[in-house]
Amino acid sequence: MRTFFRVFIFLLPLAAWAHLGSPDVYYDGNAGPYHLLVTIRPPAVVPGVAQILVRSYSTAGEIDRIQILPLTIEGEGENLAPRPDAMVRSADDPQLYTGNLWIMLRGSWKVRVQVEGKQGDSEINVPVAAVSLTAAHMDRGTSLMLGGFGLLLVVGLVGILRAANGPAQVLPKQSMSPTLKRRSMVGMSIGAIFILVVLVSGDLWWNTEATANETMVYRVPELQAQLKAPGVLKITLENPNSRSFGDNQWRNFWAQSVVLNDLVPDHGHLMHLFLVSMPDMKSFWHLHPDATGAQEFVAKLPAVPPGRYRVYADVVHSTGFPETEVGTIDLPAVGGEPDASLGGDDSGSPALVASDKIAALSSGYRMIWERDPSPLRAQQAVIFRFRIEDKDGRPATDLENYMGMAAHAVFLSDDGKVFAHVHPQGSVSMAALALAQGPTRGSASPMGSMSMAPLPAEVSFPYGFPQPGDYHFFVQVKRAGHVETGMFVAHAVE
Amino acid sequence: MNTTVAGTPTLATDFAATQSGADAIPWYAWTSVLASLSMTTGLYWDISWHMTIGRDTFWTPAHLLIQFGAVLGGLAAAILIFRTTFSRNREAKESSVRILGFWGPLGAFLCAWGAAAMLISAPFDNWWHNNYGLDVKILSPPHELLGVGLESINFGGIILMVGLLNRAQGILRPRLQLMMLTVGGLVLANSMIGRLELTDRAMMHRAAMYLALAIGPPFVLETVARATRLRWARTGAAAIYTFLFALGVWIMPRFSAEPKLAPVYQHITHMVPLAFPILILAPAFALDLLWRKLNAVQPTPGFGEKWLQATVAGMVYVPALIAAQWPFAEFLMSPASRNWVFGTLDQPYMVPPDWYGARNLFLPFEGWAHFWIRLAWAVFAATLCTRLGIMFGNWMRKVQR
Repeated sequence: MRTFFRVFIFLLPLAAWAHLGSPDVYYDGNAGPYHLLVTIRPPAVVPGVAQILVRSYSTAGEIDRIQILPLTIEGEGENLAPRPDAMVRSADDPQLYTGNLWIMLRGSWKVRVQVEGKQGDSEINVPVAAVSLTAAHMDRGTSLMLGGFGLLLVVGLVGILRAANGPAQVLPKQSMSPTLKRRSMVGMSIGAIFILVVLVSGDLWWNTEATANETMVYRVPELQAQLKAPGVLKITLENPNSRSFGDNQWRNFWAQSVVLNDLVPDHGHLMHLFLVSMPDMKSFWHLHPDATGAQEFVAKLPAVPPGRYRVYADVVHSTGFPETEVGTIDLPAVGGEPDASLGGDDSGSPALVASDKIAALSSGYRMIWERDPSPLRAQQAVIFRFRIEDKDGRPATDLENYMGMAAHAVFLSDDGKVFAHVHPQGSVSMAALALAQGPTRGSASPMGSMSMAPLPAEVSFPYGFPQPGDYHFFVQVKRAGHVETGMFVAHAVE
Repeated sequence: MNTTVAGTPTLATDFAATQSGADAIPWYAWTSVLASLSMTTGLYWDISWHMTIGRDTFWTPAHLLIQFGAVLGGLAAAILIFRTTFSRNREAKESSVRILGFWGPLGAFLCAWGAAAMLISAPFDNWWHNNYGLDVKILSPPHELLGVGLESINFGGIILMVGLLNRAQGILRPRLQLMMLTVGGLVLANSMIGRLELTDRAMMHRAAMYLALAIGPPFVLETVARATRLRWARTGAAAIYTFLFALGVWIMPRFSAEPKLAPVYQHITHMVPLAFPILILAPAFALDLLWRKLNAVQPTPGFGEKWLQATVAGMVYVPALIAAQWPFAEFLMSPASRNWVFGTLDQPYMVPPDWYGARNLFLPFEGWAHFWIRLAWAVFAATLCTRLGIMFGNWMRKVQR
């Protein structure tokens, strides 16, 4: 087998989809009267096991039982579902429930969280995208271990064959005849050749499986960004994971097709485009290009400082499958006043100042990160809370909805390989969330926060850093008709 | 445990016991049978688990049974090998083989090898799951390694016993023969589990199924017949398989269970058994009758004659199987079979209701051209497997250590 011939270097390419490098789903919402924080850790490889964590914010003792069930986001899966699994309440933390679910196909899923409690039964559907992220490469340790054991097996088997064709046929206390000795060697040699043939066939088989798997691994789509005319940015999307259901083979692996002509608006826009200057990240822009074709979008650029920018384009398919396309562009200076050149829901800032506590906004306003003093840990769900106050330290009273939500946040690792576009309800796509609830379920409207009541001066986001390292994150709120951006830095530990 | 010779029992004492006509079966023969039984039961249970519940863990009872069999086979082999290797008794070594510096009976080495292969397949399979996903296919390199290891423990057990049988006298002989036959029947059962997907009820009027049944089982039948030297060995091994599978059909549905993996197409409230046994019993019986004649005609066949015998056996095996299974398949599709005895009421949870089998229909006939070509291949495969069985079985008769 392969391990007998090859030693692989540990190479796990960091690949992920919507929320680049940040596959875990965080959702803060209500299942009827019960306030929950749901974390879904999809498997790195599909079919695989997803880990589900649910934290209850309801009064202790309110909830009797929580059950979970995986379903494809749409379709007949709902009618063919098994009985839900009961989550296990943590012995140390009675508000925390854990469970595992098998995800058998790649694509768009939802996890149904059913709550039984003192205020009756209720449920919420949380969308999750599941794909295989890694092309299999064996790390050196495993390779050496399996290779060593494999070699031992081969040597042992050759020895057994030698004994079987010779010494084993001799009566106790007698010795082998010359003929039997010769037969023993011939038998062993033929056996060794046979073993070699089996090993080579096994290696070929493994290669075939590995190649088939490789074609099923999700590839991060790379967009092409170019300046079409001064101040006009053209974005061309790619679809390296094109899955057309004309080919039945895909049906065994994917729950839905992945095509580019099925994009749907996510909180009002087909695409949310983020430009971030690298490596300083001081210039940050959140734009909404117009579609000019199935794969082409055009954005009017505001007056951005020149430099190298990382480009992240968030789109959602009609299947609820979210993707982030990534690219890089070197931009020349685009003149004019930044604010004056922004249109519609576009926003951004050319010269943000990073802070680990307080970000200065316009008119003396400030955004304060109400941070827990304990260190931030990778893969741990945290509620990031921010308070907006005026120049006198009083809570802001003029906050407005920005594209239907109280706030938007972007979490970005300093190397640009982790990107997550998060809202107060979590890291789920709002379009997928709406789809997951189904046409008749209105209890968990993703736009539930679109009320006309005055917005509180505090916003929060559930999120967890996927891995240890340094991160920048950008928090956007709308105040007095103007979008403000605060930039913060954080370090996540193991 | 053998105590007919004073002192600690060793291979030498076992050897002496076989010569003296003692009636005690050595402990390792018992552990071999128990290990094989445990692994086959585990395999059966595991497949039934996947047909009923769908998802599993490392710690399901079915997996534990398979692991117990592997550990038992491996430990017994290790004890035999270490005891012989570090024994001061020269006779012990003189009735053993030496491999990689260790001494012990050949069968023990094969058992140990099988247990090691099964052990190594665990981290390999784990890596496979982590990189290619949970089992979507039964056939994968780590599963094959597991299967090869499992069968090595079975054959290791048979070889351990055949070594004793070839020297045994008195009442020990029939007892060893029966124990070997049992393991042989279990190997046949494993072999039938391995081709379950190809022997579905809906496939029974296609030559493809008979081709699948011609690759493997004739080898097992022939090997067991020659190793045990029993007149009705083929029938006996087939009867053990038939009994085990029928028992499964009758027992498994007594246990409540429900599917845990979508999509759930069948409403299931109890464990789904594997299908009613294939009537291998018919060709096995026919082969036992045939070999009586063949042996009478040519008791000491040469190289070419063995091929001729194998060809005749192949030409009997396939038609005998079809003659029994084809009409029986009609019965299995009929309402008369839909009861607890034949178990055609239950379908695995993942079978869509429009699948042929779920509607008690055969798959469309493959066409006469394909039918005859596949049958010809089936006869060829049965011939080849029988010839290999003759070779392997005859070799077993020579095993002394």
